[in-house]
Amino acid sequence: MGKKVMIVDDSRVVELQMEKMLENSDYEVVSFCQDGETAIEQYSEVLPDLVTMDIIMPGMDGLETARAILEDHPDARIIMVSSLAYDDTIEEAKSIGTKTFIYKPFDRDQLLSALDEVMSEA
Amino acid sequence: MDTAMSEEKLRDVFDQVTREVTEKVGGIRLCVGESSLDEDACTVHAAFARGFHSSLALCADMAMFTRLTQSMLQAEEVTPQDVEDFTKEYFNVLCGHIASRLFQVTKVASRFGIPEFYNGRYQPENQREQFAICYSSDKNEGARLSHFTPVK
Repeated sequence: MGKKVMIVDDSRVVELQMEKMLENSDYEVVSFCQDGETAIEQYSEVLPDLVTMDIIMPGMDGLETARAILEDHPDARIIMVSSLAYDDTIEEAKSIGTKTFIYKPFDRDQLLSALDEVMSEA
Repeated sequence: MDTAMSEEKLRDVFDQVTREVTEKVGGIRLCVGESSLDEDACTVHAAFARGFHSSLALCADMAMFTRLTQSMLQAEEVTPQDVEDFTKEYFNVLCGHIASRLFQVTKVASRFGIPEFYNGRYQPENQREQFAICYSSDKNEGARLSHFTPVK
């Protein structure tokens, strides 16, 4: 079994795209959550190796969700995924303790490279 | 948009980002120019939720949104629900890049709402079209990007 990835994104498009990109790789999508509240609940049950987190979602946004997960699980490896590239957002994400940023749109190589980089830090 | 940017500069940012993102995400090349929209045209719309008080809409032929979806999904067979979902995700990326580009110029950090999809043309309430950029795709599909500002 590959390393477990949890996707948090309000769009099922991202799930479909990531699942396709991660085919035949060392990673496997084990959970897909469309909002922050569900992601916080699911994290404790699934205990994924990695989380990819969208920033803009209805209800709790990705930064709030990441903060809540990291409070309970300081070792969580969270990668922020967004098309927003502000210095202040990136700094906020870093200060919370997330590992890196992937900018949309991204391709398979960019995704795998980010996942490998974060896993190699462990 | 309530920034110090001129309409001309805003147009340049919107146009450049729209062409870049549409080609990168969907492999569709857009050229600026008058084009007519088909009767089955659809609209995707998003309102800026913080920083700016305006909204953006892209109305385009269903054929173009379908082609965009096929490219993003890497599949020939797509459902109307796929087209709606993938078009919204494409517009989410487009708006994110526009907000990021505007931030580089104005240092105003904006956020935008979740994109909404409509069949036909869509005119947001209490807003007027400040300007529009018309496109023709590499397959002669029509598209129109509109910038709406609040009616005073």
